Amino acid sequence: PCRFELVSEHLVQLDHMAEESIAFLYGINTSASLFHMNEKNIHVRDLSSVGNLSRSGFKLSQNFSLLRMSDHNNRSGKKHSSVGFRLCNATGGNCFYKTYSSGMDAILEWYRFHYMNIMSQLPVIINISDHEEQIEDMVYSCQYDGEPCRPSDYVHFHHPVFGSCYTFNSKGTDPFWTATKPGIPYGLSLILRAEQKDHIPLLSTVAGVKVMIHNHNQTPFLEHEGFDIRPGIATTIGIQQDEVNRLGGNYGKCTTNGNDVNVKLLYNNSYTLQACLHSCFQHIMVRKCGCGYYYYPLPPGAEYCNYNKQPAWGHCFYQLYNRLRNHHLNCFDQCPKPCRESLYKVSAGTAKWPSAKSQDWIRQALRHQNGYNSTSNRNDIAKVTIFYQQLNYQSVNESPLLSENLLLSSMGSQWSLWFGSSVLSVVEMFELLIDTLVLSLLFCYQRFRSKKT
Amino acid sequence: AAMAPGKKITARIKRTLPVKGPQAPTLSELMRWYCLNTNTHGCRRIVVSRGRLRRFLWILLTLSAVGLILWQCAELLMNYYSASVSVTVQFQKLPFPAVTICNINPYKYSSMKDYLSELDKETKKALETFYGFSEGKSKVRRSVDEWSSTGSDFFKQIPLLKFEDLSKTVTDLRSGQKRKIEGSVFHKDSSIVNSGDSNDIIGFQLCDANNSSECALYTFSSGVNAIQEWYKLHYMNIMAQIPLETKEKLSYSADDLLLTCFFDGLSCDKRHFTRFHHPLHGNCYTFNSGENGTILSTSTGGSEYGLQVVLYIDEADYNPFLVTSTGAKIIVHDQNEYPFIEDIGTEIETAAATSIGMHFTRSRKLSKPYSDCTETGADIPVENLYNKSYSLQICLHSCFQKAMVDSCGCAQYAQPLPAGAEYCNYNKNPNWMYCYYRLHEKFVKEQLGCQQICKDACSFKEWALTTSIAQWPSTVSEDWMLRVLSWDKGQKINKKLNKTDLANLMVFYKDLNERFISENPANTLVILLSNFGGQLGLWMSCSVVCVIEIVEVFFIDSLSIVMRRQWQKAKKWWNDRKRDQVGKSPQAGDLERQGHDNPVCIDEDLPTFNTALRLPLPQDNPLPRTPPPNYSTLRLETAFTEQLPDTLEVGQH
Repeated sequence: PCRFELVSEHLVQLDHMAEESIAFLYGINTSASLFHMNEKNIHVRDLSSVGNLSRSGFKLSQNFSLLRMSDHNNRSGKKHSSVGFRLCNATGGNCFYKTYSSGMDAILEWYRFHYMNIMSQLPVIINISDHEEQIEDMVYSCQYDGEPCRPSDYVHFHHPVFGSCYTFNSKGTDPFWTATKPGIPYGLSLILRAEQKDHIPLLSTVAGVKVMIHNHNQTPFLEHEGFDIRPGIATTIGIQQDEVNRLGGNYGKCTTNGNDVNVKLLYNNSYTLQACLHSCFQHIMVRKCGCGYYYYPLPPGAEYCNYNKQPAWGHCFYQLYNRLRNHHLNCFDQCPKPCRESLYKVSAGTAKWPSAKSQDWIRQALRHQNGYNSTSNRNDIAKVTIFYQQLNYQSVNESPLLSENLLLSSMGSQWSLWFGSSVLSVVEMFELLIDTLVLSLLFCYQRFRSKKT
Repeated sequence: AAMAPGKKITARIKRTLPVKGPQAPTLSELMRWYCLNTNTHGCRRIVVSRGRLRRFLWILLTLSAVGLILWQCAELLMNYYSASVSVTVQFQKLPFPAVTICNINPYKYSSMKDYLSELDKETKKALETFYGFSEGKSKVRRSVDEWSSTGSDFFKQIPLLKFEDLSKTVTDLRSGQKRKIEGSVFHKDSSIVNSGDSNDIIGFQLCDANNSSECALYTFSSGVNAIQEWYKLHYMNIMAQIPLETKEKLSYSADDLLLTCFFDGLSCDKRHFTRFHHPLHGNCYTFNSGENGTILSTSTGGSEYGLQVVLYIDEADYNPFLVTSTGAKIIVHDQNEYPFIEDIGTEIETAAATSIGMHFTRSRKLSKPYSDCTETGADIPVENLYNKSYSLQICLHSCFQKAMVDSCGCAQYAQPLPAGAEYCNYNKNPNWMYCYYRLHEKFVKEQLGCQQICKDACSFKEWALTTSIAQWPSTVSEDWMLRVLSWDKGQKINKKLNKTDLANLMVFYKDLNERFISENPANTLVILLSNFGGQLGLWMSCSVVCVIEIVEVFFIDSLSIVMRRQWQKAKKWWNDRKRDQVGKSPQAGDLERQGHDNPVCIDEDLPTFNTALRLPLPQDNPLPRTPPPNYSTLRLETAFTEQLPDTLEVGQH
């Protein structure tokens, strides 16, 4: 993700804080080598509206600092130290430490926690995409079925973790995007820039591009199912479609369009299990902690958590999250699987790209056309080709082993096999039963009367 | 007119739809009436049958038919309801599989020095003679004399040979002599590849120690393969002599291999890993092996909720001849399965983040009559040498090992030891390598019979993996991360970590959809019977009872009638003959009294269906028998109002 001017000031502060805590924990002076490039890149623009917002009185909290703990109960005798940070509830009681055996994980989690707080004050109303990079900055070339893509073919959206993402063919209605033939030349081919210098070093440690292949009108959860593309590599992704149809009803819980699910979806796309789980968690979070988790969309009337307003949200969040994991929240019961699902099976091959011989002219061409300005010969461009391996798809259908009419007919067959008769003879038997009852009653009555007389 | 309209209607209803009482005045009459009029087959036979035994049999048959119906229908209903329930069991929480991680290099090269220095020296010399280059300081090419004076076994055991041409003239590397070779030549590589320069062909010779004239020659198109294979043979010999405890110490410890660990959003450490010693890959570590009884599971799909580890691959400590690639090997398997790392492991690159997304599939085949698979492996005559659940792979390996012990007298190093055997090494079994190669060739050509004995397992779990790789660490985060990780690694290693020493691995469920493929028998017994009954009922409105009826009438009864006729005839003929001899006239009326009128043959068990219907009722019946009920003849209305003579009659009986 890239940095917004709006909060860049705070991000710089956060970076400094991180740097201090790393220095405090490990005694390494990293500032010189690590963060110098950030400061060069940031020029806070004095746009009046933006300026006002950024001075809205947010300050980084010093309460959540990284600590090192050493537990001596470790039997191995070695001093086993762990790093973590402390989370308390509003009154300062009931504290617990979120600890990690590796310092790297601890720092990453700690940074993420602060990052969410900073980002949460970005107003939701602002159209974020105005402030972000254009598609030309990321996608250098796009071809589908041998023809260049049109500018109207992609949809931009903001992903809380990865920043700007682009979806090609998100509606699935344009005839331009129908797949006519299987094979690499007829697929979607992209040249992407995976620049690393704008990365926030403490937020993600991997470099590359995430690609996800999903259904039309479905919210892509890139953090769950994204496919990594390595810079400097041409990746060919072959896809194959699988369709799963579930019976529903008595045979298992599933939902056709999500209307019958108790959870109100926060994503305005079609129903998926992940979307339902996220929405369910966000609803509970707003109810219990009073604010929303930054990485999920907001329900109406709520706001994102930030520890200047809700000092205890971290405590609340991590406990709630643990309960979700342990299935103590009933989100998993409330969210059924969709009855009809398309899955894409992905298999990929890679090759080095651009090759040593061709990289000079490729870079030249890109520099000319797209304003690509990379002086070093570091790998920061990648090529992706996505194509159908086969145009037919596998469909997996559930079917009942014994349906009602099959049950009836086999019961009838059993009856006629052993007895040679039908439902009518069962009725006959009932008649016999009733007759027997009446007769025996009359007989008893007679006896009773004759005794009396 | 005086009547109320409601009463009028009821009166009318009474008139037009008169309510009559039961169909017969007494219980026994009712039962009789029912049995004679019903469509069900058995009941009628009970009433119509003559004789106690016959009636008893029919009662028994009818009752058993009722029992069968109840049983089969209950089974059908249970089937119906259980089928609708079994699908819902698949809940979204999936058990996480066991993940076994190995360094590609089995043992630390530095600590293996004591065992391998001799072998390495020899290998270097071989390389020098073959290709004229040298490693390290030994630049001077030594003479042949010095070769023999080093007095090493390695070349004596298996000489490396260089082929002059495609004929069998070879140069022995040790002595430099040219000689002709006898014996069969095996090309380990495809012969198409080495069609070019015959000078490049390198191989080694394995001879039967007891009979030195019997030799096999193994050639390779590439010297790299030849030397690696040659090295491996000696390496296995050496390793076979080292006890297991020592080997475990020589290999990597959990602290060495695992730098960070993260599972399902929580931190984990080496206590979550179980050590497992693999003969070819050294110490491997299994995450979530289920050894302490608990199997972890993930609640949601996605890379954040799976296993994330950073591995330390100490590239500098690699064995240069044994392994030529750097990284780690992982395998995703079930807790009960043995991880065959060497066969189906996935390799992981260093200086990269590898994300492995999983899809879970469970399959189940039907056993015996439907397909040739085994449930537990207990019915297969091969002893399972691995203490894990049965799989085809385990069976094949165990079978080969058994054959190896039987014919070579010692066990192959890569597989576990059977009871009472020990690993091969050429101090004790100088012959084993030749034997092994011979046996292996037989095994591949399916001459050992292992492939015939071993069967597929009926149920298996499979994780389909999708691997994607991203660059890691990114250039901006590289600096701080390497520092933090080196600090974490602790004081043991003073040097700063290099990014080529690290590999980042993520294993996670892509989604929590479990695919369950199972075979169902197309015809269970219940369904078979149902189909049978359906056909019978549809075309003949017949049942098993009616089949038995047919058998009774057409076979037993008709046969007995025919037999009796014959008997009578024979008797008559005999009597006639006797009378002729004696000269007496036959008694009058003998001829008329035949068949059913003959009092002799009216015994208890003889009537048939036809005769039963035709025959008049026995005359000596004291009471007038109730005629077969008829709807019109029954005057029940009057009988029930006052008179009730039947009760008296019943009382008399």
